[in-house]
Amino acid sequence: MTNDKLQPPDDEQLSAWLDAELNEPAQASVQDWLQTHPDDAARVRLWAADRDALRARLAPELDEPLPGAWVDLVTTTAPVRRLGGSWEAMAAQWVLAVGLGAAMGAWWARPGNEPPPTPGTAPLAAATAPATPDTQEPWLQFAALAHTVYVPEKRHPVEVAVEGDPAAQAAQEAHLSRWLTKRLDVPVKMFDLRDQGYRLVGGRLLPESNGPCAQLMYEDSAGQRVTVYLRRKGTDAPASFRYEELNGLGLFYWVEGPAGYALVGQASRERLLALAEAIYRSGKDSIGSVIE
Amino acid sequence: MPSRKPGVNAPEPFRQQLLDTLPRLRRYARSLSFDHANADDLVQTTAERALAHWHQFDQRRDIRVWLLSIAHNAHLDRIRREQRYTLVDPDQLAERREAPAPGDPGLRMDLLAALARLSVAHREVLLLVGVEQLSYAECAEVLGVPAGTVMSRLARARVAMRAALDGGAARPEAAPNLRRVV
Repeated sequence: MTNDKLQPPDDEQLSAWLDAELNEPAQASVQDWLQTHPDDAARVRLWAADRDALRARLAPELDEPLPGAWVDLVTTTAPVRRLGGSWEAMAAQWVLAVGLGAAMGAWWARPGNEPPPTPGTAPLAAATAPATPDTQEPWLQFAALAHTVYVPEKRHPVEVAVEGDPAAQAAQEAHLSRWLTKRLDVPVKMFDLRDQGYRLVGGRLLPESNGPCAQLMYEDSAGQRVTVYLRRKGTDAPASFRYEELNGLGLFYWVEGPAGYALVGQASRERLLALAEAIYRSGKDSIGSVIE
Repeated sequence: MPSRKPGVNAPEPFRQQLLDTLPRLRRYARSLSFDHANADDLVQTTAERALAHWHQFDQRRDIRVWLLSIAHNAHLDRIRREQRYTLVDPDQLAERREAPAPGDPGLRMDLLAALARLSVAHREVLLLVGVEQLSYAECAEVLGVPAGTVMSRLARARVAMRAALDGGAARPEAAPNLRRVV
């Protein structure tokens, strides 16, 4: 502070003025001071700029997906009973709707009907853990792992991104579809999930013991992501539509024609179900075949 | 640890509010501990405590303030716990905790690096008032200090942040201020 015969405001007052936390007269007198003291005004402007920059820098953190363990922790009431009842009803509707009655028997025995996993375990650790005896599909572990690895990525979530204006998006979708179809040797379609509130982020090719496989990533307006994992069907793959939970991630999986599908996400089962249904319908259209 | 199901009786609206606030809690926790695993742990602890004590929350109030204060206290608990088991001088410990690991990929440079140089006390007020946009009174409630303390601490935090951004090396009055956190 240099030129002052009046009482100059100290840092506390300047800072509080910025936050409009002074009382009316004090707020006004600091305002007057700043109008005649450009050095102080410049300092306060810098503080404001720092604050705004920090706010902008940290804003995207709010959009990161929440770990499934937290969602389970907060949403799970006295376990399974209440939740399970309504879910089973819905599952039954789904099974009827798509004519997969045969899946029913298997359904009730799935581990997905058990209480959610203990909160606090790292998703990655669980995804890489050996399959539980109930998990008959080792590739599901891989689908879950790929989800866990790529979904938090901010800058490189996908290998080929679908972005830009509608024409560019259409071109990228077509390219992605052709490329993955060629590499997987099964028809890979870019499912349109916009009616469900999810846009296609893009996709990537992944290696699996079974050969090349693919991951498509979708994102809703809140930045919550789900992935669709596609692979060429193995010899042992069941045709039924199933649900499993692997440490807070929900997985719907099924086989259709030559391809195995898994939808992976942290969204509620109801939400995943709606998405799986849309994918199933759209996949069926593209292949022109029906399960069974 | 035995399996615990905190707050199985917590009502649905409360759960929803808690769920909606988790992203903010995580962001705040990350500003306290730049180690994401530690920060996640802090959020989880906060959520568990909130569920266990949901009946103490006054629905007419802002749940963010309530949850942030739980997070703040949980963080203090952890610092105390860590200090109990260490022979290192607490001031040194505080310094070390605040210095980001070199090459930490979680640190987007400049702004966050500067933030990480500040004391926890300074980071807290910058985050709570500047980013979460709490009033001084709300911030004081979260931190359990008088509003006047928030005002003076924030002023010093802004000066320290500017110094860190300008010079990089300066750490004015970080250490003396820490003493006052507890």
